[in-house]
Amino acid sequence: MASLSLEGIQKIYPNGFHAVKDFNLEIEDKEFIIFVGPSGCGKSTTLRMIAGLEDISGGTLKIDGKVMNDVEPKDRDIAMVFQNYALYPHMTVYDNMAFGLKLRKVPKAEIDQKVKEAARILDLDKLLDRKPKALSGGQRQRVAMGRAIVRNPKVFLMDEPLSNLDAKLRVQMRIEISKLHERLGATIIYVTHDQTEAMTLGTRIVVMKDGVVQQVDTPQNLYTTPCNLFVAGFIGSPQMNFMDAKCTVKGDDVTLTVGAHVLKVPASKKKPLIEGGYNGKTVVLGIRPEDVHDSEAFISNSPDSIIESQIKVYELLGAEVFLYFDVEGTQMTARVNPRTTLRTGDKAVFALDMEKIHVFDKETELTITN
Amino acid sequence: MGHTPELEKALNELKRITGLSMDISADTPMEEGQILQQIRCLCTAYKEKYNKADFLQSLMVNGIPSYDINERAARLHIAPDERRVLFLLDAKSLDEAVTEILKNLFPAQTKTYLVPVGETNLAILRPLKADEKPESMRKIANTIVDTLNTEALAHVQVSYSSVIENLADLSGAFRETSLALKVGKLFYSEQTIFPYNELGIGRLIYQLPVSLCENFLREIFGDSIPDRFDEETTATINRFLQNNLNIAETSRQLHMHRNTLIYRLEQIQKRTGLDLRLFEDAMTFKIATMVMNYLHTERNQ
Repeated sequence: MASLSLEGIQKIYPNGFHAVKDFNLEIEDKEFIIFVGPSGCGKSTTLRMIAGLEDISGGTLKIDGKVMNDVEPKDRDIAMVFQNYALYPHMTVYDNMAFGLKLRKVPKAEIDQKVKEAARILDLDKLLDRKPKALSGGQRQRVAMGRAIVRNPKVFLMDEPLSNLDAKLRVQMRIEISKLHERLGATIIYVTHDQTEAMTLGTRIVVMKDGVVQQVDTPQNLYTTPCNLFVAGFIGSPQMNFMDAKCTVKGDDVTLTVGAHVLKVPASKKKPLIEGGYNGKTVVLGIRPEDVHDSEAFISNSPDSIIESQIKVYELLGAEVFLYFDVEGTQMTARVNPRTTLRTGDKAVFALDMEKIHVFDKETELTITN
Repeated sequence: MGHTPELEKALNELKRITGLSMDISADTPMEEGQILQQIRCLCTAYKEKYNKADFLQSLMVNGIPSYDINERAARLHIAPDERRVLFLLDAKSLDEAVTEILKNLFPAQTKTYLVPVGETNLAILRPLKADEKPESMRKIANTIVDTLNTEALAHVQVSYSSVIENLADLSGAFRETSLALKVGKLFYSEQTIFPYNELGIGRLIYQLPVSLCENFLREIFGDSIPDRFDEETTATINRFLQNNLNIAETSRQLHMHRNTLIYRLEQIQKRTGLDLRLFEDAMTFKIATMVMNYLHTERNQ
């Protein structure tokens, strides 16, 4: 397996479209790296540059320390799995997996050994004689993976490989891919726009927007310490709640005012607001739905973080309830215990867990405090 | 005795299309000339009678008289009246792997025909299944691109035509796919799939005569037509247009102060006379840059 280094990678198309800007990343051997971001953010383009399917306009790509910018894709020792995979309809599972090796004129005995080994890893041993039409969606997807595995590449590149599967199968395949990573000990770069996939699979996640890397970090760190408003809003479902708030500094006390609600900032979060000169300025207050509480015990212990509103929608999801309400014209979501007595139309009191708030600069959208 | 290069070429061609290898011995140059003639006739006759790809290629590129199409199609067991879509694939080079993968992706029973058109293009004529809608052609094009990316590690771009009802329309479909490929590569180079019906304003510009394009640019920029803008200016303009002329959002994304962006836009206005903050000027500018790209490519060809 291999390590990768991307230094100042750029992609500018002949029509002037600047798809990827100054992309820097060091990928360790055996890492599972996820590129995530909205459609058109440059994640697939970056993957295609690593594969050699797109020319690199600027910067340096190294695999195992060797510069790869001008190396032909077939000589980069990579294998890919893409979204619109197709199995050869008239071939058996075995032949589908062996086909790529046959094209490369690999000796028959070696092909046989590699196909059988990949089939074993993917639990396809008993299906090798079947044709694609006799396979389920998940089995077909595993065959597509098998075609990549038989190449025994240094790096696996996967571009939304689960996008064409239904929700249930996606969850199942996510687990399969995770297991595969453990079994192969492979370096994997995986592109997705689905943040659940990103959070559950990646050892590190690269969040991209408009061709620019926003943050590179572990799933947990991205969730708890997002570096800007975009990352905070993109990672997490339901999304983080955002409200405009006026910051007031009086001596050692810092408060955030949202309409009629005055929220006291805890000691652990004050310093950047005071030192950043935010007194009198409007900032963006962010809080995750699970940090908005409706329990009486929490409310009575948090008199300085109370907000009141009327429940617009009550959504029971079994293990949890989502409550939707407005605060000063902004829609908010609270993720609460299903035993809550609140229902649509009720007047409700919530307390924010101020130790978990995030504050962002309204103009630059960068995080002031997490 | 060695053969002349012409005879050698004809023998290779015969082997390529029929699979037949011949051992020729000629005593005189005249005899060899006669043999060459006979082999060429054999190749032509074979192509006419048995080679579907050659027939379809002639139909696409040269055109075949309509009265002849049905008869020749029947001889080759190609249904003349069937709903089909033509895909045109563009690759850096059409090596054996690309063709082999496509042959297996569309095996014979699917009645899909692969027709080489030049060194870098390959046409794929595919019938529409009864339950298939023209919109699903994009998915097929995606499958072609993704499969070749994955299996052959080849960068390819694919255009496709509108649906044709019979073989007589094939030359029109080929014109559509060729145009779509040219327009797509010129104006939408970041994409890999170019449906003929989704070429937008690029098609309009591409079909304008060069002189008209030059007049248009002169009308906008006067005599000092900018050849191309520098990278930074292009990036600023593109981002500003992508953000629907929103200064705050653009300056944030470009990590620059809004006053810097306004200054840059004013510099562009000084240079071109167009205030990009106004919709009409922004639209004119966008079209003008597309025309400039087009002319630039035309001049380089």
